[in-house]
Amino acid sequence: MSHTDESALAAERTGTAQRLASAVVGVGLVTFVLSLLSVARILTEETTLLGVGLYDFLALGALAMGVGVVVLGVGSRTGAFETNPDDTPGLVTAALFGVGAFVVAGLVASQTLGLGTLGWFALAAVSFVVALFAVALTPEDIGSTLPAGGVAVGAAALVLGDVLAPGFAWEPVGFSATFTGAMVAPLVLAVATLVASWAAAKAYEGYGSRGRQTGAYLLVGINAVGILTVLAGLLAFIALKGVGPATQGFSLVPFEWPFVTNGYSYQPDIVNGVYPAIVGTVWLVVGAVITGVPVAVAAALFLTEYAEQGRFVGAVEIATNGLWSTPSVVYGLFGYAFLVPRLGGSTSLVSGMLVLGFMLMPLCLITSREAIKAVPDEYRDASAALGVSQWETIRSVVLPAALPGVLTGVILGVGRIAGETAPILLVMAGGLRDDAPDVLGSFEFTSAAPYVANDALLQSAPALPYQLYATITAGVSAENAAEFGWATAFVLLVVVLSFYAIGIASRIYFRRRLNA
Amino acid sequence: MSETKSIDPEMTDEPRTTTTGESDEELRAEWTAYDFEGDPKLSVDGLDVHYGDEQALHDISIEIPERSVTALIGPSGCGKSTFLRCLNRMNDRIRAATVSGDVTFEGRNIYEDDIDLVELRKRVGMVFQSPNPFPKSIRDNIAYGPRKHGDVRTGLLAKLTGRDDAAREEELVEESLKQAALWEEVNDRLDDNALGLSGGQQQRLCIARCLAVDPEVILMDEPASALDPIATAKIEDLIGDLAQEYTVVIVTHNMQQAARISDQTAVFLTGGHLVEYGDTDQVFENPRSQRVEDYITGKFG
Ligand SMILES: Nc1ncnc2c1ncn2[C@@H]1O[C@H](COP(=O)(O)OP(=O)(O)O)[C@@H](O)[C@H]1O
Ligand SMILES: [Mg+2]
Repeated sequence: MSHTDESALAAERTGTAQRLASAVVGVGLVTFVLSLLSVARILTEETTLLGVGLYDFLALGALAMGVGVVVLGVGSRTGAFETNPDDTPGLVTAALFGVGAFVVAGLVASQTLGLGTLGWFALAAVSFVVALFAVALTPEDIGSTLPAGGVAVGAAALVLGDVLAPGFAWEPVGFSATFTGAMVAPLVLAVATLVASWAAAKAYEGYGSRGRQTGAYLLVGINAVGILTVLAGLLAFIALKGVGPATQGFSLVPFEWPFVTNGYSYQPDIVNGVYPAIVGTVWLVVGAVITGVPVAVAAALFLTEYAEQGRFVGAVEIATNGLWSTPSVVYGLFGYAFLVPRLGGSTSLVSGMLVLGFMLMPLCLITSREAIKAVPDEYRDASAALGVSQWETIRSVVLPAALPGVLTGVILGVGRIAGETAPILLVMAGGLRDDAPDVLGSFEFTSAAPYVANDALLQSAPALPYQLYATITAGVSAENAAEFGWATAFVLLVVVLSFYAIGIASRIYFRRRLNA
Repeated sequence: MSETKSIDPEMTDEPRTTTTGESDEELRAEWTAYDFEGDPKLSVDGLDVHYGDEQALHDISIEIPERSVTALIGPSGCGKSTFLRCLNRMNDRIRAATVSGDVTFEGRNIYEDDIDLVELRKRVGMVFQSPNPFPKSIRDNIAYGPRKHGDVRTGLLAKLTGRDDAAREEELVEESLKQAALWEEVNDRLDDNALGLSGGQQQRLCIARCLAVDPEVILMDEPASALDPIATAKIEDLIGDLAQEYTVVIVTHNMQQAARISDQTAVFLTGGHLVEYGDTDQVFENPRSQRVEDYITGKFG
């Protein structure tokens, strides 16, 4: 540790230590991603990489990282690498390693040594205190690299030593779950590589505040990547399962996509499809947006621009937040008890639209209010100073400026209601059908009030989420119910994402109009 | 309005007496009485403004001559902006504000109940301290007022009924931008968003937007305080030109600026009192009030 207290303004990034640290982080990222894929069972223990079994490969990676990290720490302490460490890695780091020690010691004491509650807890507590002080009282370079290296080497040893082999199984008392080696090993390795990568990232910058900054950046970045990976995995999973059955009989020229254009005909030689349910879902969302959004925006305008800010507005705000958190089945029950008897007496498309519209209202109200509040008062002043009335100002200046925010609310709300199953079950429930609801074609003018009627709105209609639920629970045509379900799920996902895409595209359009 | 608060403590603490033995308070009426040729455009008489219980302006009386630049100067917090907002009733928009007294414009007290605020604000326009163009195109910004007032008819209905004023609007936009000395810089991008202009350009756009509704009086609240020296110089030149045609009342805390651009100057001092009002040259070279002299020479404020 040859101190560079007159520390260079530009970080030196070319030394051996930097190269070693970069290598450790690089190995860490690869190992981490592969470990996650193994946890998700996308890769399994049967895979071999470079002639080595997957888990051994991962463990070797962790081992190399652990050694590398220890070398970085010892090198810094002995002065081989130029660094600038603090006196301590800090209390948070120490406490986290302490918690790690607590868990490991507790598990070993209770599971391997078979100590009773008092025994394992005492041992774990002692380990916690020892680790806490040991880490807190060592200089930063050793203090963060040695424990991290230890974690990596330890995890690698467990896997390489076949303790955490695929055959390993642990059934904790009181849990009706089995943790198998196939799941636990990659999880442990993922955590270990993360810790080692963090230590290496700190070493890369020579510790100190610059090191902590880089370490934190690495952790936050990997966290974000991890979340995205999980999401992408989820989508990929559904797509993998669903695309096959959903594209049965698909051809581009002449265009044929029976799953999307057919109904459910119950005939053996015709591909069953979800066309009626797609149409039903689209109508539901359109109806909900038409009934919910204007009311919500108008209410938001009243509360923000006209109402005296006081107790009344506060109460409405609390009530709105409460409504937004109300479980959807409660909305469904309301629709079932209040709307259905008044709208034809049976489950119907229009009841579904209204119930989903009610569900959409609170979120749109909340987000519209925020968007309207965020419109700078300078615009209102400028307009008033030109002699323009308040309503004209709202219409021509405030609403256009708030529109992107309002749309954000609509997008989020539609994302929620498009996939709702519980209220649909109660107020609209349409089974597998061959024909789609023909809303536009069913408008009829009548001679008596209310002079217009629409039969399609008053009949039940199918919708994707409910149909998915019905298919899975009832197993409509037993032999391919699961396939039909996956394909429906995939189409539902595509429909919801399309609504998102429309919303986001229009938001971008309006935002661009506002900004230069 | 409680009269007990109308006397500024600072003034009663040390009643500065002149050689004749009269107090500041008595002399103020004389120091602020300003004889000018021509007609007053705006006459303010006995104006008090309160924000809640705090009195922000005390018994202000002042007459503002037509087609000239009147500068309002004074330390910050002395009520200049409050006074300016009284002249087009923008204080109505501040819930806590109560105004009493008379402001006469065109022979009418604008604080009477039946005054049409739309008409008043069309004729007494305002430019704010920081440029506040709407997030719309340059053209839409300028045409905003005239469209809302029905002076130019555009849109689908106007087109269908054949009463579209697009040409007239085009003219108005050009004319207003030229008056605000902005036409040369933006005539090739009238459909671009106004937020893309520089600060100085935005402020001239706001002036053009104000001119487009054809006001008689233009109130400006420190219009150049957020701008760089070059943009400030442009705004100052512009104000000089505007005074040929309009009555300009401008608030500034920059005394050099007031001296450069104004015909007459009113000095407000802490507590919300109008202490001196007169020809700009006289106020700056030979102030009658000792306190104003101290303020102008930088001894306080
Ligand atoms: N909206 C308001 N609510 C309450 N008090 C205000 C408000 N605006 C201004 N004031 C008070 O009125 C006094 C004069 O303010 P202002 O007219 O803004 O002064 P200036 O423009 O000369 O700096 C200050 O004491 C200020 O705190
Ligand atoms: Mg001010």
